[in-house]
Amino acid sequence: MSSNKPSDDPQAILQKELGDAYDFDPRDPMAGLTGADLSSDGMSRRTVLRLMAASGMLTTASMLPGILTPGRAEAAGQSGGTLRCGWAGTPELPTLDPAQINMVLLFQVSSNVLSGLTHIDADLVPRGDLAESWEVTADGTQYVFKLRQGVTFHNGDTFTADDVLYTYNRSKNPENSIHSRVLNNVDALEKIDDHTVRFKLAKPQASFLTKTLERASGRAMTIVSRGALDSMGTAQYGLTPVGTGPFKVTEHTLGQGLTLEKFDNYYDPERPKLDKVTIQPIIDAEPLAAALEAGDIQLVGGNPVAPELVDRFVENPDLVVSEIAGPGFQSVWLNPWRDPFKVPDFNKPVSELMKENGFKVRLAIAKGLDRERYIKQAQFGRGIAAYGSINPAMGYYFDKDLPNSSNQRYDLEEARQLLADAGYPDGKGFPELSLICTATARREVTVISNILKKNLNITVKPEVQDWPVLLEHFQTMNFDALRVGSGGDYDPDDGVVDWMQTSSKFNGRKRDKEKMPFGFFSDAEVDALIAEQSAMADIEKRRDIVRRADRITSDKVASVFLFHPKDILVHHKSVNFPAVSRIPGLVDLDRTTIS
Amino acid sequence: MLRYLSRRVIGAIFVMWAVATLVFFMMRIVPGDPFEAMLFDSGDPAAAEELRRKFGLDQPVYIQYFIWQGNMLRGEFGFSIYGSHQPVARLVSEALPRTLSLAALSFFLAILIAVPAGLIAATRRNTAADYTVTFLAFLGLSMPEFWVAILLIIFFAAHLHWLPAIGYVPISKGFWPWLSHLILPAVAVGTGFSAIIARMIRSSMIEVLKTDYMRLARSKGLSRQVLTIHHAFPNALIPVVTVVGIAFALLMAGAVVVENVFAIKGLGRLLIQGILNRDYPVVQGTIIVVSAIFVFSNLLVDLLYTTIDPRIRYDE
Repeated sequence: MSSNKPSDDPQAILQKELGDAYDFDPRDPMAGLTGADLSSDGMSRRTVLRLMAASGMLTTASMLPGILTPGRAEAAGQSGGTLRCGWAGTPELPTLDPAQINMVLLFQVSSNVLSGLTHIDADLVPRGDLAESWEVTADGTQYVFKLRQGVTFHNGDTFTADDVLYTYNRSKNPENSIHSRVLNNVDALEKIDDHTVRFKLAKPQASFLTKTLERASGRAMTIVSRGALDSMGTAQYGLTPVGTGPFKVTEHTLGQGLTLEKFDNYYDPERPKLDKVTIQPIIDAEPLAAALEAGDIQLVGGNPVAPELVDRFVENPDLVVSEIAGPGFQSVWLNPWRDPFKVPDFNKPVSELMKENGFKVRLAIAKGLDRERYIKQAQFGRGIAAYGSINPAMGYYFDKDLPNSSNQRYDLEEARQLLADAGYPDGKGFPELSLICTATARREVTVISNILKKNLNITVKPEVQDWPVLLEHFQTMNFDALRVGSGGDYDPDDGVVDWMQTSSKFNGRKRDKEKMPFGFFSDAEVDALIAEQSAMADIEKRRDIVRRADRITSDKVASVFLFHPKDILVHHKSVNFPAVSRIPGLVDLDRTTIS
Repeated sequence: MLRYLSRRVIGAIFVMWAVATLVFFMMRIVPGDPFEAMLFDSGDPAAAEELRRKFGLDQPVYIQYFIWQGNMLRGEFGFSIYGSHQPVARLVSEALPRTLSLAALSFFLAILIAVPAGLIAATRRNTAADYTVTFLAFLGLSMPEFWVAILLIIFFAAHLHWLPAIGYVPISKGFWPWLSHLILPAVAVGTGFSAIIARMIRSSMIEVLKTDYMRLARSKGLSRQVLTIHHAFPNALIPVVTVVGIAFALLMAGAVVVENVFAIKGLGRLLIQGILNRDYPVVQGTIIVVSAIFVFSNLLVDLLYTTIDPRIRYDE
């Protein structure tokens, strides 16, 4: 359980925590931690900081704005009041039924209404939510959860193990849930008694607590109310879901916003602080900014705030802007089945691949793309250069050395030489490429195009497509280059399993498998490493394996990794959004107050 | 008249059917799979197949068409593919009052500005008043709606705090909350609209003022006010009403840019969102309503001709 209390000085707490993080014998491989520290119900903040300090990550992490420092201290605020929020970049909140949620901006809302067995904290460590505690068998295939007692749904129904079973049975059926695949590794769920359940897994799964059981991004096991679903049907449940979360949905008009009200019987009597929250979806950036400046809205959630607005918000003395590392990565994907960057087999050492012209071109583009310049021009400085799929918000797993040692590190001379070696000296004879993107990415893709033209003298033409058309081309591998990325990545599996394995769900799933044995990338060693880390209970070993896989995908240019987005939270200064709630990518409002 | 009306209504239904059929097949021709877009995050082919079966999209297109036609005849619009599969009838019926409110207020504002402006410009031709109206009309026509909308928000909402920047409140929650949320979007939409009507009134009035019967009326010593209001203006209205009718229909479905800026989910935004998501039932259902608005607006305009000009009789 999170034990953060608003009464202590957060700076003093931070100093104490940082001091404690380094308080171990450097020769001790366990960094002064015990087995219990690493196997209790989620690692404590102390444990995470200690592990980061031991791995040298803490220094880097401290330098990344807001990654560890509380963006804004949990200021003293009174309970009650109404918070008016704008949800950026969306015309509506199409569904809040976890079985159908397919966007981060939706589970940002549902996380305030529905509960899971676990919920990640600001360090991305899974904590008990409806689960009070749990035990894992030594082989990592069975989890026994003790459930909270005395928890009620918004409609008054009592929460028991039957609701966990109901949610499981509903979610594993593709007829009901788009996330049934998440439960593929669960062989069975058993009710031991009214407040105890046992999950039996087919094989150990390191990400089980974060990816499967988490209340926000997990979705497959976000607990739904059987009584409410029976009485209101799935369509209405998608608008006004009933859960056991801190807020209940009292009104939702599609496209015009929703109203959340304090749930008086929430299991933690101290939360939520606010009486009411209204959420208004707003598509365009400028109206959102004007609404915030006019005071019509007090906090911005939803899609990332348009980077061109952030400096304006920072300069506004009435607003607070909190920037931390965001949970995701963005890439330019190069089709390995097309010239001039054709690489039909990645199963070779890099030294062998370097002999192939197709690989030289891939690497030339990756090395010639000045990420810092891209971030400055396209993201207005809000981003962190990316060289792999593991993002800095994952702290412990993020490899701080990768930017300096990856094959993809920026080196213009080498990039030009590679291009010349591949038969395109100074870009001469290089075919014109099309870079597919959505309309919202047009500007940043133009920046990429300009950088590549200036640095390598190659022509990359932005091609705007609707999202469904872009996806069709991505899944069938019908593109030269394509700009897409990942968000809501809280566990290494979200990066490497979802994207970098041959069988990854995004890896050219609908391609012609006879002509293209794999999608955008395939490497047997990477496949094996990813499978190994997925089942690895030892957190240090897992970290090492994840980093190895991440490094190979970077060196072999699985994609041209571009940037990790910043997670930017903007709110009025009257809103006290405590550091403990500052979970990357989420907008948990249960501890928020208005002063 | 009744026979004419029946003929037009039958014609209108045929037009709606033809438009809906065209849209049905066009939506299936355009690239992009709605389920792939929806399930990109989960990447679950079984869930995609299940949804395809549930919405009948696993059937051949001609069977889908006949099923859809049957549902239409029973008055069933189906369910949205996207999100939590809301009934299309509900989505359309929620969006329609928002669009109607915005269109009606924009229309009212536009008429309020355009009629006096057009009359002044026509009756004071080649004077400073005429030049001013003409200049303002060109300005109104040249300014993109979204730009006007953003300027209005920045000035009246962000700086002066007079009006809310975004959103829509139904009239059932109070007249002022409803009106205050609609004033800025209505001005944004109505500006260009009033410019078109003012220009139309001006040119139409100039034509009428040149006619022999107006010269006769003037020679009889009628006052300028009587000449303009009672004799010239009604005769100048026929072409104006035609344009106004089409423009009002366009307003009903075409205010999507302003709806986006002000975060109002009207018919235009519903339609565009449906197209972007490849949400076939939503697009088909909305198109039927929009085409109904178009054909019946035109019918209403034709009927208005008989009131404006008693010489027009459809059954003769």
